Amino acid sequence: MFTSIIFILILSGATIIFYRKVRKIRRSINLGKDIEITDNKPLRWRRVLFIAIGQKKMLQRPVAALMHIFVYVGFIIVNMEMFEILIDGISGSHRLFSFYGKAYGIMLSIFEIITLTVMLGCMVFLVRRNLIKVNRFWSKEMTKWPRSDANIILITELLLMSAILIMNATDGILQTRPDAHYTQVGSFIISGIIQPIFSGLPSSSLIIIERFCWWFHIVGVLVFLNYIPYSKHFHVFLSFPNVYYSKLRPAGEMVNMPSITKEVKFMLEENYSDQDDDNEVVTFGAKTVRDLTWKHLMDAYSCTECGRCTSSCPANITGKKLSPRKIVMDTRDNLEEVADKLFNKKSSGKDDKKNTRSLFDFISAEELWACTTCNACTYECPVNIDPLAIILEMRRYLVLEESAAPGPLNNTFSNIENNGAPWQFSQEDRMEWAKEFMEKQKIDVPVMADLFAKNEKPEYLFWVGSSGAFDDRYKNVVKAFVKILTHLGVSYAVLGTEESSTGDVARRAGNEMLFQMQAMMNIELLNGYEVKKILTCDPHAFNTFKNEYPQYDGNYQVIHHTQFLKDQIEAGNLKVKSLIFNKKIITYHDPCYLGRANGEYDAPRRVLNFIPSEKKEMKRNKSNALCCGAGGGQMFKEAEKGDKEIFIERTEEALETGADIIVTACPYCMAMITDGIKYKDKVEDVKNYDIAEIVSLSLEI
Amino acid sequence: MRVFVCLGNVPDTTTKVKFTENNSVFDNTGVQWVINPWDELALTRAMELKEDSGSSVEKVTVITVGTKSAEPTIRKALAIGADDAIRINAEPTDAYDVAAKLAGVLKNEDIGFVMCGIESCDYNGSAVGGMLSEFLNLPSVSSVSGIEVKGEKVSVSRTIDGGKEIISIDTPFVAIVQKGISIEPRIPAMRGIMMARKKPLNVVEVPDTEVLTSHKSFELPQPKPPCKIVNPENVKELFDLLQNEAKVL
Repeated sequence: MFTSIIFILILSGATIIFYRKVRKIRRSINLGKDIEITDNKPLRWRRVLFIAIGQKKMLQRPVAALMHIFVYVGFIIVNMEMFEILIDGISGSHRLFSFYGKAYGIMLSIFEIITLTVMLGCMVFLVRRNLIKVNRFWSKEMTKWPRSDANIILITELLLMSAILIMNATDGILQTRPDAHYTQVGSFIISGIIQPIFSGLPSSSLIIIERFCWWFHIVGVLVFLNYIPYSKHFHVFLSFPNVYYSKLRPAGEMVNMPSITKEVKFMLEENYSDQDDDNEVVTFGAKTVRDLTWKHLMDAYSCTECGRCTSSCPANITGKKLSPRKIVMDTRDNLEEVADKLFNKKSSGKDDKKNTRSLFDFISAEELWACTTCNACTYECPVNIDPLAIILEMRRYLVLEESAAPGPLNNTFSNIENNGAPWQFSQEDRMEWAKEFMEKQKIDVPVMADLFAKNEKPEYLFWVGSSGAFDDRYKNVVKAFVKILTHLGVSYAVLGTEESSTGDVARRAGNEMLFQMQAMMNIELLNGYEVKKILTCDPHAFNTFKNEYPQYDGNYQVIHHTQFLKDQIEAGNLKVKSLIFNKKIITYHDPCYLGRANGEYDAPRRVLNFIPSEKKEMKRNKSNALCCGAGGGQMFKEAEKGDKEIFIERTEEALETGADIIVTACPYCMAMITDGIKYKDKVEDVKNYDIAEIVSLSLEI
Repeated sequence: MRVFVCLGNVPDTTTKVKFTENNSVFDNTGVQWVINPWDELALTRAMELKEDSGSSVEKVTVITVGTKSAEPTIRKALAIGADDAIRINAEPTDAYDVAAKLAGVLKNEDIGFVMCGIESCDYNGSAVGGMLSEFLNLPSVSSVSGIEVKGEKVSVSRTIDGGKEIISIDTPFVAIVQKGISIEPRIPAMRGIMMARKKPLNVVEVPDTEVLTSHKSFELPQPKPPCKIVNPENVKELFDLLQNEAKVL
């Protein structure tokens, strides 16, 4: 009776403290901006099932995945035993469910096996962290507290599991001692093995040990429960809702900023007037945690600091300051601080003078500008945290509120604004690449305005892009593709001098205003020509048209040239004749905005499979492919400080395959890999071609 | 004190320059107009001075001669941070015309100092600043590459051969500014763009000035001949080409 009362007091105390902390975290998360996430519930539940419950994304690293499954399954199943322990504790009974007889024994033996696997998992994890020192657990942001946090959790789990086994072992012996009056349930599979250790002890000592372990376990569990919300371990609860609410749209799509749309309309439409309250003060982008959405803040609490994001981040790999994990940890730390000040009324006197710190007190501009927006971090995260979204919101703040983009990016913005290309080239020169081409090759490149004047409507718009128009190397890619289009007799046209930057760079570099101006002007033009299908060689244009222009009523069927070529080859329209690549080794580099951003890994490989040659994959390929280093505005600025340039790292990896030809499918990747080959002094031995060039050369056209 | 920054509305530097009417009139179809780069730097410096608590600059006004089509450029200057703008509603013809019109408005204003870019990147006449100071009967300093304002005291600096000349000057005066007056032009932030919509842009009419010049014709530079690439091994070929074809050796 007495023990029951103590038990009930401890249990209710622990529950109340836990509830209050969880409520506080809930309030903290709700400090974020409100967004509604209610769409596509079936898909969201499916994701919870596969990613959160099924741990699908863990599997990319099999050892860690297996050990984690042990601990995870243990956590769920051993907690089922907790049910009996709780009832025993409240009612003062002992092994209440033992009336199930044999089944009870089998059940507990299964629990014991799982207990053992949990212990194995914890030990392997401790070894990986402290003896093998796996890199991602020792990077800069893994300071003393995050490292001890992990160890505290693992050691606690080990102790709790040991308590169960010792309790069961001593219980088993006590059952054989008539003086102890223990319920007869037999001994269990694992604890049975360790029974000899205790068999020499008198019953009184055994009872003390058994009872101690019982209390140690249950009190330990309750203490641990209350430790979790203060620790990275909170992911055991939050990973489920976090996966449920995670982004469903393609990874490459950035969220729209309606507040900017309003401003762009003021600028572009003479008669635009604002219907809403004009005095509303909004922050553009994120300076403080409260400028982020509640989902970003839930991300921050869901992170268990495993560091998979950081270990796959091209900037981090090459020694830059950026670490996606640190971004998420900093967001959480900043949020905790802000929430403490906000909720804790007692401290209002002194602390009010000290303003709460902003995200920029934790995260430096250098970190933000090192990001290539390659989506490796978001892809890697086992619980679908989106560090990239936080980075991009903070970039938006820097550019829109502070005009604090790195100098070269400001020049890029000016160029896009003034002449519609990231470089200083006149928009009127956008057809120069075709002029010389038309003369020499006798190939006609139809221009939309001309066709439209003749009342003709081509099936496709071919988007040449700024690189296609102005980059000397990349012009050849566009020409090769045009040759193929001509060879096929496809009905298409280009915009010529009417084409202007899609705004991809501007958006990813934080200049939402410029992006939306470009988007709206382009959409007006495209819709004016009644464009339905867009073909492009540029994955960035592909992503922007496909995923982002619909935000402003620009709805098109967008086809990347690798997809188009795949369809044409598979339909038998393109017959590869030549054997020029027959003896060559080809390796394919996945562009981030085709691959991870839009899930297209297959089309380019299927095209290459039609080319007689040997194919070799790089170590990191498809969804794990390393970025070339040019995305997210990096193409137009100096790389942040680090040990190495990303393009060199990637080129080295490509060269390791022994490839004669590195194939790309993106203008940025081409520029980077071309530079990489030059840097490695391999110009004579290794060529860099776009898929369109490989196909056109193989067709001998 | 109030600083006036004169703005030129010029074609973007990537513009393909074309002429009509027998090569006598600049063809402005499809041209993207921007703030004259020198004036943009002057405005940036004016903003820095306004934000500096140690200076007495309180207000920055931009003033331009142009038709309604120049207003996006003026709004950009307001977005960068100018407090208000004056547009003299006329098509600018030449330096004399522009200077006279600017003076027509500025003579009635309480001027701290006036900043003019040393030249505009369209016709590069380099004459407005000097003429303006004459019209206003104010002293002027040319090729100014630095302005400091400490309280009411103004000093300007000029880069001279091998050194720097610092001049202290009484207000009002006209500063004809060179590159270096500020390092990089300021980029408008969102807040600036939003505020620019509501800032005053006063359109004023000034009597026509006498037209003293007319353009006879313009001539475009010859297109660049194609580049010849010489293999690094063929030093002799390079030497031959430089000596006999380019005739530079």
